[in-house]
Amino acid sequence: MNAIEVSGLVKRYDQLEAVRGVSFEVAVGEVFCLLGPNGAGKTTITEILEGYRSRSAGEASVLGLDPAAGARELRERVGIVLQSCGVQEYLTVGELLEMYGRYHRHSRSADELIELVELDAKRDTCAAELSGGQRRRLDLALALVGDPDLVFLDEPTTGFDPQARRQAWATIRALCGLGKTIFLTTHFMDEAQTLANRVAVMRAGEIIAIGPPNELGGRDARPAEIRFELPDGCALDQLPEVPAQERRAEGRRVLIRTHQPVRATAEITAWALEHELELAQFSVTQPTLEDVYLELTGEHVADERAQIEALRR
Amino acid sequence: MNDVQTTSLRRDIGLTAWQALYEQRAFWRNRARAFFAFLMPIMFLVIFASIFGKNTISTRAGLPYNDFFVPGILAYGIIATTFFNNAVSTAILRDQGVLKRMQGTPLPRWSYIAGRIASSSVTTLIMTALVLLIGRLGYSVHVRSATLAGFFVALVLGSACFTTLGIGIVRYIRNADAAPAVLNFAILPLTFISGIWFVTDTQTAWLRHVAEVFPVHALADALQYAFNPATTGSGIKGNDVLVLGIWLIVGVVLMIRFLRQPLGEA
Repeated sequence: MNAIEVSGLVKRYDQLEAVRGVSFEVAVGEVFCLLGPNGAGKTTITEILEGYRSRSAGEASVLGLDPAAGARELRERVGIVLQSCGVQEYLTVGELLEMYGRYHRHSRSADELIELVELDAKRDTCAAELSGGQRRRLDLALALVGDPDLVFLDEPTTGFDPQARRQAWATIRALCGLGKTIFLTTHFMDEAQTLANRVAVMRAGEIIAIGPPNELGGRDARPAEIRFELPDGCALDQLPEVPAQERRAEGRRVLIRTHQPVRATAEITAWALEHELELAQFSVTQPTLEDVYLELTGEHVADERAQIEALRR
Repeated sequence: MNDVQTTSLRRDIGLTAWQALYEQRAFWRNRARAFFAFLMPIMFLVIFASIFGKNTISTRAGLPYNDFFVPGILAYGIIATTFFNNAVSTAILRDQGVLKRMQGTPLPRWSYIAGRIASSSVTTLIMTALVLLIGRLGYSVHVRSATLAGFFVALVLGSACFTTLGIGIVRYIRNADAAPAVLNFAILPLTFISGIWFVTDTQTAWLRHVAEVFPVHALADALQYAFNPATTGSGIKGNDVLVLGIWLIVGVVLMIRFLRQPLGEA
């Protein structure tokens, strides 16, 4: 059985169609990530699945239940980290975990959770006195207090410094180890790349690509890119023939796109050694998730650029 | 009702009690808020009773001022801890997203709100006891056993009325920053025309009629009636009970409407 099943999901607000017929499944134990720019509809979908919003059309099932029905059974089995959500400011970390734990029939102990999110030193500190990162970790602990089967994480590391992000990633990976299903939204490519088993890229309310991060947008099937600087007094046509999809030079910078990067590299470096040439800034790379993402969501990026230009004027 | 439902209901009532306990703990830990909701009425009591304590009220057959003022300030205190405090804190909890978070937990919404109401009732009871104690020891003002019924009816009905109104009004308060201003606008003028700070027996008729429509006057008047040494009978004043009862219905309707609002789309 799948943890989440969504088909033809639509959400309309007056004139605006925020989600336009989205379909996907999330398997039990999977880390699934919605990736997309702000305003793409990630949070709307997440909040429909969490039961906070109604849907305008389509089907949705979470742990076999309809999230719109607002069943207590579902809230017992789901943990939620909302994007920005306060807690009772004048209760301590320990008291909050104890209080929220009581709401569930099966809960995890405050001690265990405090250790998991490394808030040991803050156990007796009021929520009001926690730093941003500590609050986010408390959010995570509170989401896990009912020992949920499925955890929703809506942009869990937005506003974190790099070190805090690494820590949060480690915690999320630890959750996967416990067999939890995780539904994640983010606009950070590296976060999706590191954590997710599968990524769905969203743009303007639609899923435009879906798959494991390494295969997304045919990434694994794309040619590798070899780059280097053409040595002085050397022209592009002096290079040896190599199997390539594309070969071009911008000034002295050479780009070769090829499905046989090992062979192409060997032939070019052999040629360079033979002529006793040094190839400055020589590199071989596979297109990154970011390249694919920018290409997929390109239209939106162009829109943003236009907006920035308009603001400058 | 079957066994499963009974067990689950018993559990939810237990959760309500726990919630009340946590709310109480949080309330007293925020000293600034506790001061305004709790100590302000006590402070007014001491100040006014010290200034006007020796006066008597000619329009009320020479009633000592304190016998009028202590129940009046008690009414103000009840309004502060039930109406004011619930409205401000609920608006803050809504703006901070705490209500939304609570909605995502298995705790039933009624159980959460009942816990909060129970907690504000405890605060109200403590404040009432303190006002009664200071009134008795400091100014020899007290309720006779004959009119205790009237006192309890006013206390319970008034608290219920202002608690539900306090939660219900949050729907009309756009943001928590505006809450104190909106609430003061709603309540402060009424306290002046409703005989809380001074006797309003001789004020213009239309102003008196305006005051009599609202629950501030009804609560103050009901308590003053029960405290008055000259009152005969049970101390229950039908008019006041009627006004408070009607406003309680308004409060319950407003509160249910607020609670039914889906918080995700608010």
